[in-house]
Amino acid sequence: MYTEFWPDFLSRLPFGIMVTLEILSITIPVSIGYGILLGSARVYGNAFIRLLAAGLVVTFRGFPLVVTLFLLFYGLPEMGVKLSPFWTAVTAFILCSGAYQSEYVRGAIRSLEVGQIEAARSLGMTRLQELIHIVLPQAIPRALPGISNEIIYQIKYSSLAYIVGVNEIFGITTSINSIYFRPIETFLTAAAIYLVMTTAAHFGFKALEGHMSIPGLEIEIR
Amino acid sequence: MPVQASVIAYIPYMLDGLKMTFLLVGGGLGIGFLIGVPIAIGQVYGPKELKAALDAYVWFFRGTPLLVLLFLFYWGVFPALGLNLNAVLTSALVLGMRSGAYQSQIFRGAITSVPEGQYMAARSLGMGKWQAVLSIIVPQALRIAIPGWSNEYAIILKDSAICFVLGVMEMLNRTRYVMISTGEALLPFIFAGITYIFLTYGGVKVFDIIYERYKIPGLLVRG
Amino acid sequence: MADVVLKVEDIHKSYGKLEVLKGIFFELKRGETKVIAGPSGAGKSTLLRCINLLTKPDKGRVWLENVELTDPKVNINKLRARIGFVFQHFNLFMHLTAIENVMIGPIKVLKLPKEEARRRAEEALLRVHITEDLWNKYPAQLSGGQQQRVAIARALAMNPVIILYDEPTSALDPELVGEVLQVMKELATQKVTSLVVTHEIGFAISVADELMFMYGGKIIEKGPPREVVYNPKHEATKKFFANIARLYGKQGA
Ligand SMILES: Nc1ncnc2c1ncn2[C@@H]1O[C@H](COP(=O)(O)OP(=O)(O)OP(=O)(O)O)[C@@H](O)[C@H]1O
Ligand SMILES: [Mg+2]
Repeated sequence: MYTEFWPDFLSRLPFGIMVTLEILSITIPVSIGYGILLGSARVYGNAFIRLLAAGLVVTFRGFPLVVTLFLLFYGLPEMGVKLSPFWTAVTAFILCSGAYQSEYVRGAIRSLEVGQIEAARSLGMTRLQELIHIVLPQAIPRALPGISNEIIYQIKYSSLAYIVGVNEIFGITTSINSIYFRPIETFLTAAAIYLVMTTAAHFGFKALEGHMSIPGLEIEIR
Repeated sequence: MPVQASVIAYIPYMLDGLKMTFLLVGGGLGIGFLIGVPIAIGQVYGPKELKAALDAYVWFFRGTPLLVLLFLFYWGVFPALGLNLNAVLTSALVLGMRSGAYQSQIFRGAITSVPEGQYMAARSLGMGKWQAVLSIIVPQALRIAIPGWSNEYAIILKDSAICFVLGVMEMLNRTRYVMISTGEALLPFIFAGITYIFLTYGGVKVFDIIYERYKIPGLLVRG
Repeated sequence: MADVVLKVEDIHKSYGKLEVLKGIFFELKRGETKVIAGPSGAGKSTLLRCINLLTKPDKGRVWLENVELTDPKVNINKLRARIGFVFQHFNLFMHLTAIENVMIGPIKVLKLPKEEARRRAEEALLRVHITEDLWNKYPAQLSGGQQQRVAIARALAMNPVIILYDEPTSALDPELVGEVLQVMKELATQKVTSLVVTHEIGFAISVADELMFMYGGKIIEKGPPREVVYNPKHEATKKFFANIARLYGKQGA
């Protein structure tokens, strides 16, 4: 059936947007949790856990995201693990973004004054209590600017899901372009959608940072 | 064994793709520098209208995925401008235009971290506004920006792999070809990944050496 | 017969080649306040930190009410909960309000219900004269003197058997020292067992039961504060208190 370019494009885009949002609604919270866990493990874990966490960070920060995607998509089946394109993308984004975020968390943990940690210990807190009640509540706001930056990267890099065959925004856009060949309109439209998302995320995180700042310490945290 | 042996036989072929990878990285960083530095100077010292235009440029290139930019310029913008650029040139230019947006932010931070007194002192010697900026502020800011560039190198190195979508035969694309011809995926991609890790650390080391060489005693670096 | 709350026996500690503590002995009975003074680098902070095991001594033993802290089998967190520690730089938890700083130990470590922890915290804050209008302020919104008093309340709320103070007033602006010393004096009079590292001679003379002078990793002189300050036996002690008198003027005497 023959259809006009714009009606066809605009009627199919929402599907792609939904898929992108579906990916992000999983990867954003999970990667943040994973990043906090990984960053904490690198400071608070025992020797084995620290080594394992460092290995995960070095690997998935060092591998280009495309390599990780291909590795999971084509490589894992050789080991008997087969993930759908969607879950391949989700897993790769979490591994990569979490590794980057963990570096901000680790940096923030280490920027805490030793004094507060000693105060926690001298109250008799265990190391886990100290981490949960004293360290992370202060480290997470400090890591937030870095974490939000990574989330904005994640929004943009979610387009790479297309290369393992996920029909998200970019996938829909290229397939429309290959039918009508209207590259400027299609790709500028895709750009506009991503710009709306990244800009919204930017302002959202700014508001959150303001909300999470501790009275009297506003300047120090930035 | 025979399969793995055949993968090993392809290693030189894969590594040969590094020439192209480096062309993209070098081109992207270089073009980005040429775009980023003037943008930063304009953003800090320029008139309001210029600032707004530069902000818009930075906003567009930072907020749009590289994948979208590559397709937009390769299929759309460059041909519409009557430019018939091949995939390699397009990739280097797009990486460069985008890196320019990022580098301008690195450099802007560096400019604003040069102490105010430097500018005042230059003016008090009788230098004009632009003379003070170009001969006193910029040389200091360039040094302060080195760690930021090191980071930008690491980003652009990894992003250069995305250019395979236009058919550029850089390292990752060659790795794909190895997969297709050997039927092995795990080993080639792990090998490629590790190569990127080494290149990242190696490059960062080079920037460290440059930084050590040119850093100014007593001039603190942010971040 | 007053019972011994803290007993320290032959504590040694070295950092690499540097021998910081060279055998420290003393004990504190319930209700007593003892002061430790000595020049910078004498090892005073190290000694306090060895007592609640923030630093591990190389040798020697510490008892808290007949339980040996230095025994590797003991649960050190349980025992630390019973030793209050007041730091030179307050070390309040910057993400918690004043009252939350005081409540967190009772809630998380002593596992008290929230309401009871709050009651304890309010009581402790009032004891250090932190009035209700300050309870919901964050540390960064308080003066140094107020912060240090909140830190004392944080220690008090744990119902500790002893409070260790490490130069609690030396990070404060001179005009804020008085309010903190006043609180410490009141607590000493209320028979809160305390071990205080300080150079505030006036405080030592007016409330301490004993003054111990540390030098080069040892307690080289101890006795009634007035004796030690005005009739020091060792050359080092003489020199130290002469300097202090010069620095602090009459207030020290
Ligand atoms: N963690 C450490 N590592 C190495 N050396 C240390 C450490 N802690 C303390 N020292 C050294 O031990 C010595 C005693 O330090 P300590 O802090 O106990 O002295 P102090 O009597 O409390 O002095 P001050 O009055 O300056 O606080 C000093 O020479 C110090 O440099
Ligand atoms: Mg000390």
